Amino acid sequence: MAAEGCVTEKRIKRLEKRKTEKVKRRVVKWAAGGVCFLAAALVCLPLFLIPAGAVMDDMELRQMLSPVMDGSGGYAKWHLIPLYPTMEHYYRLLVGSPEFYRLFWNTVGMTAAVLAGQLLVGLPSAWAFAVFRFRGRGVLFGLYVVLMLLPFQVMLLPQYLVLQKMGLYGKTASVILPAVFSAFPVFLMYRGFTQIERDVLEAARLDGAGEMQVFLFVGMPLGRTGIQAAMVLGFLEYWNLVEQPMAFLEEQKDWPLSLYLPRLTVEQAGFAFAASVVVLVPALFVFALGQDALEKGITYSVSMVPWDGEKG
Amino acid sequence: MDRKKRLGMGFGIFMAGMLVMTFVSRVIYVSQMPRVKWSYFSAASIQNTFLSEGTLEAVNAQAVTGMEGLLVKKVCVAAGERIEAGTVLYEVDLEDLEMQLSLLEAEERVWQAQVQTEKKEAATEAARAAEDYESAAAELERKIAEEMILLEQAQEDMDTHMFRIPQEDAPDEVWIAWADERTRIDREIKERQRAIEETGQEKEKVLREAARSMEDARNVQNQVEGAYSAGFSSIGQVQEREHKIAVWKELAERGGRVAAEQEGCVLEVMIQAGTRMGEGAVMRYADAQGSLVFRTVIPQENKSMVHTGDRVHLSFPGSPEEADEEIDSIIQENGGYTVTVWLEAGVAQGRTEGVMEVVSTSEIYDFVVPKRALHYDGDMYYIYVLEEKNGILGTELCVRRLPVRLLDGNEDKAAVTDDLLESGMKVVVESDRELGNGMAVIIQ
Repeated sequence: MAAEGCVTEKRIKRLEKRKTEKVKRRVVKWAAGGVCFLAAALVCLPLFLIPAGAVMDDMELRQMLSPVMDGSGGYAKWHLIPLYPTMEHYYRLLVGSPEFYRLFWNTVGMTAAVLAGQLLVGLPSAWAFAVFRFRGRGVLFGLYVVLMLLPFQVMLLPQYLVLQKMGLYGKTASVILPAVFSAFPVFLMYRGFTQIERDVLEAARLDGAGEMQVFLFVGMPLGRTGIQAAMVLGFLEYWNLVEQPMAFLEEQKDWPLSLYLPRLTVEQAGFAFAASVVVLVPALFVFALGQDALEKGITYSVSMVPWDGEKG
Repeated sequence: MDRKKRLGMGFGIFMAGMLVMTFVSRVIYVSQMPRVKWSYFSAASIQNTFLSEGTLEAVNAQAVTGMEGLLVKKVCVAAGERIEAGTVLYEVDLEDLEMQLSLLEAEERVWQAQVQTEKKEAATEAARAAEDYESAAAELERKIAEEMILLEQAQEDMDTHMFRIPQEDAPDEVWIAWADERTRIDREIKERQRAIEETGQEKEKVLREAARSMEDARNVQNQVEGAYSAGFSSIGQVQEREHKIAVWKELAERGGRVAAEQEGCVLEVMIQAGTRMGEGAVMRYADAQGSLVFRTVIPQENKSMVHTGDRVHLSFPGSPEEADEEIDSIIQENGGYTVTVWLEAGVAQGRTEGVMEVVSTSEIYDFVVPKRALHYDGDMYYIYVLEEKNGILGTELCVRRLPVRLLDGNEDKAAVTDDLLESGMKVVVESDRELGNGMAVIIQ
């Protein structure tokens, strides 16, 4: 009986200990969740501020931002729900600002041209790196990678000199052409193409398909994920391009929207918020459309695939 | 429909909406842009024309003197009307004329009677004065004669006394008595002489006073005869009344009608039917062959546009007649300038008013714009010039406000100057809405 009692007591202690640990884990879990939620809320705060500011009237905006605008010190305040909501800023933006549309379509055109150029130039390059074996391939690919790693500030002067020499400085092509020959999409698409089994390509060749047919009808459909990922990332990058247009474009009529928004003064805060919302919409659509491909593309790019394209 | 298709469709709709709104905003933007017309600066002179109304006056105008106090029954002519010799100018009320005439004649008769009475009194007074003069003269003459007799007697006494001079050895008493007598006689002679002299002086004085009285009486008589004392200040008034009576009688005989003495043109009529005529002229008319003088007053600011000897164009309201004449004189008067232009004989006959048109041409200015291109904000003049401006919407035409100085101008053009002006500038001359500096515009 004494032994049984001792065993029972031990069991009870163990159970209590387990229970305590369970509670501790739950507390830690909740605490971690709370911290993450707060961090996420902090990160996402601008996303809440922008739509609210876009429907806030000028008077309220002035009151909220006066410490910042006047430089009188203190902190700006913010109402997540405006006291006097108005659609005036949207109306001014969408009906009374042809400049906005000019720059919007500039951005659309620039981004589309870059993406099309990357498809035209980068896609065959990536295919070649992924499928063909030729002398100096390793060195060439290494150069591509190094080129991809170089920041824009390093490339600014050489690009400027080249564009100047080619007579392209100040033209939209001065932004589009360097982007067309960017190495990053080649790298991403290359990673996509390396996911294709070589046996599949061999089978196509055995079935009598030429190299172009293999590329068009086998390579591109199977490497679609990498291509889409490159396009989505490219869109997001070139939709918000700032440095290149600022460096290479002189005339305002050629600017993208990303240069227009910083020109809006604090007095036009409401207008700027509304413009930000509208500018955000295409990026959201493209992201939503290409989210799956983007995630896979990023996964490919970090996967343990040897650089020679053979699946490990 | 799967999620991606919905997203793709939403994206397509969004882009289509943006495309539509692009056109809408562009249309609105363009519809709000001012439509303008422009021109280059021109090098030109400025012609200034100003009109000034004035009056025409006859050089040898004839005044018709009114008959003061008479009632005008009818005015038979008007200003500007041509008249012949004998044309009835106006008629006076005959009944009123006759009444006035009878009053005047009665007054004349009263005056005549009064004059006669006063004449008689004056004649009587003059006769009395003459009589007084004569009696005074006779009295004094008699007195002098008596004194003369006494003087002669005293002188004879002296002569006699001198013969009765005592002997040398006569006693002193005799000598004293003789000497006393001689002194007495001598004193008497001197008294007589003094008396004669005083009487003579008195005579002169009395006669002078009598003569003065007589003269006064004669003057009164003359005055009476000359109507001085009949309540008139001068003989002229008597004559005037007599003349008036004569004229009025003649007028009454003519039925109260006053006619022009010669042909001409009525310049001015200063009477109206139903009113009594006052002193002075009631009507003026010009000699048919005489010249007219145009006079007008121009303000200070227009003085620089006219000079003596400049040719001016004259027109006459209500008449097709026009004339180009030279300015004869410009005289500063009462804050303005009176411009006088003598017209040639026969020009603008019958007209009383005219309009002078002066055209002055300036030097050639380098920057002349249409007047409507010039704006004024109450402080300074400015123009808008067109410029190409590169902005977000590309190359647009914008207006730039340029302050200018106004050198000269008329109703159509303005000459301006400024250091910033260039001959190749495009000046906005017309806009369908108000412009502002930097505003984008469209060329009409």
